[in-house]
Amino acid sequence: MSTVDEIHPAEEIPRNWIACKDCDLLLERVDTPVGEKALCPRCENPLYQRRELGIEHTLALALTGLLLFIPANLLPVMSLQLVGQETSTTFYQGSLVLFQEGLYWTALLVFSASVIIPLCKLLLMLFVSGSLYVKYYSPLLPYALRYYHHVDEWGMLEVYMLAVLVAVVKLKGMASVIPDIGLYCFIALLLVTTLMSSLLDEDCFWQKIEQGLQGRSE
Amino acid sequence: MNSVITARNMGLIRCETCGKLARDEDCDDYQEHCPRCHGHMHMRVTNSLSRTWALLITAAVLYIPANVLPIMTVTYFGSGTPDTIMSGIILLLQIGSYPVAAIIFIASILVPLLKMIALLILLLSVQFGWKLDDRQRTRMYRAVELVGRWSMLDMFVIALLVALVNYGSIAHIVSGPGATAFGTVVVLTMLAATSFDARLIWDREEGND
Repeated sequence: MSTVDEIHPAEEIPRNWIACKDCDLLLERVDTPVGEKALCPRCENPLYQRRELGIEHTLALALTGLLLFIPANLLPVMSLQLVGQETSTTFYQGSLVLFQEGLYWTALLVFSASVIIPLCKLLLMLFVSGSLYVKYYSPLLPYALRYYHHVDEWGMLEVYMLAVLVAVVKLKGMASVIPDIGLYCFIALLLVTTLMSSLLDEDCFWQKIEQGLQGRSE
Repeated sequence: MNSVITARNMGLIRCETCGKLARDEDCDDYQEHCPRCHGHMHMRVTNSLSRTWALLITAAVLYIPANVLPIMTVTYFGSGTPDTIMSGIILLLQIGSYPVAAIIFIASILVPLLKMIALLILLLSVQFGWKLDDRQRTRMYRAVELVGRWSMLDMFVIALLVALVNYGSIAHIVSGPGATAFGTVVVLTMLAATSFDARLIWDREEGND
C-alpha cells in the first residue's frame, strides 16, 4: 500500500486510486496476494481483499442457496411434544403466526430479516453473477449490486440460527423438541449464504460491471 | 507533521456503495450520482451528526420500556408471569443454562448498552473536538457496526417461542410491549451506526495541518 504523494492535475482519475472508506485517505492500489487483506495505513480499515473465488463460484452458491431456501422455509423445522400433543412448525408459518396475533412490527422485523432479505440477496446475487458469467451486461446490473450492498447488513440468518438454539434450550423444561428436516436445510442454507457473502469480491464485481458496460456503450 | 492527502483534499468523492472515486466539480456534492453504481454521492454523509444524534436519543429513550416492560408471558397450565429481558435471564440461570443466559445477557443487555455508549462517545468527541486516539475511535466504530445485528437475537427467540408454543390453555406464549420497544431499539441503533460518518473522526486532524 502506498500513499499518493504526487498531485496529478490529470484529466482522468487514475484507475488505481482508491480512498479509504473510514478515513478518506487517498491511496494507490497495489497488487496483493490472493486472500490477503490490504489495510489502510492510517486507520487500519480493510480496504480490499482479492478472492480466489470467481464469478462461477458465486453463481453456484447463489443457485444452491435458492434451492435450499425452499425446503428450509416450507418443511417443518422442529416438532414439539407436550402432554401427548405433537406440533410441528415451519419458519414461514412462524412469521405468519405473529401477523395473526397482531404483532405487526415484530412480525415484519422477523419476517424481513429471516426470509425476505435473505431471499432478495440470493436473487440479486443470482442475477448479478449470472449476468457476469454469460457476459450479458444489463444496465440494471449496477442497481442490483447496489441494492445487494444496501440490504446485506439486514439479512440475519446466522442470528436466527442462534435464536433457534436458544429457543430449544428455553423449551427444554416444558416440552421435548425434535429437530426436523427443515432445520438441516436451514443450516445448509446458512452455510451457503455465509460463504457467498463472506467470500464475495465486491470490488472485482464492480470493476467487471464497469468494464462490461463501457464496452457495451462503445 | 506531513500533510495527509485525502480524497477530499484532491476534490474527489468516494462512493459509499461501490468505492468509485469521482471528481467533485460542477455539482454541489449532494445530488451527484456515482458514475458506476448510480447511487447518491456525498463528500460526507449529509447531516451525519444530527441524524445520528436523533436516532441515538430515540433509541436511548426506548431502551427504558424495552427493559422495564415484559417482553413475553409464558402461560403453563394456567399460571403465567410476564417476563422482562432481565427476569428471563435470571430464569435461565435458575434452571442452570449458564451459557444461554450469558448469550442472552450479552446480546440483549450488554451489546445495545455498549453500542449506545460508544456512539455517544463518538458523537461527543467529534462534536466538541476531543483529542482522542483517532485509530481507536475508528476501531470502536467498526466494532459497533459489526456487533449490532446480534442484538436481534432476543426478537427472534420471542418470535420462535410464540410461534411454537401454542397449545391453548395448556401452554402458550404471548409477546409483550417490551419486545416491540426492544426491536425498535435494535433497528434504531443499527440505523444510527450507519448514519455516522467515520471520516468525520479524521477530518479534524487535517484541519490542523
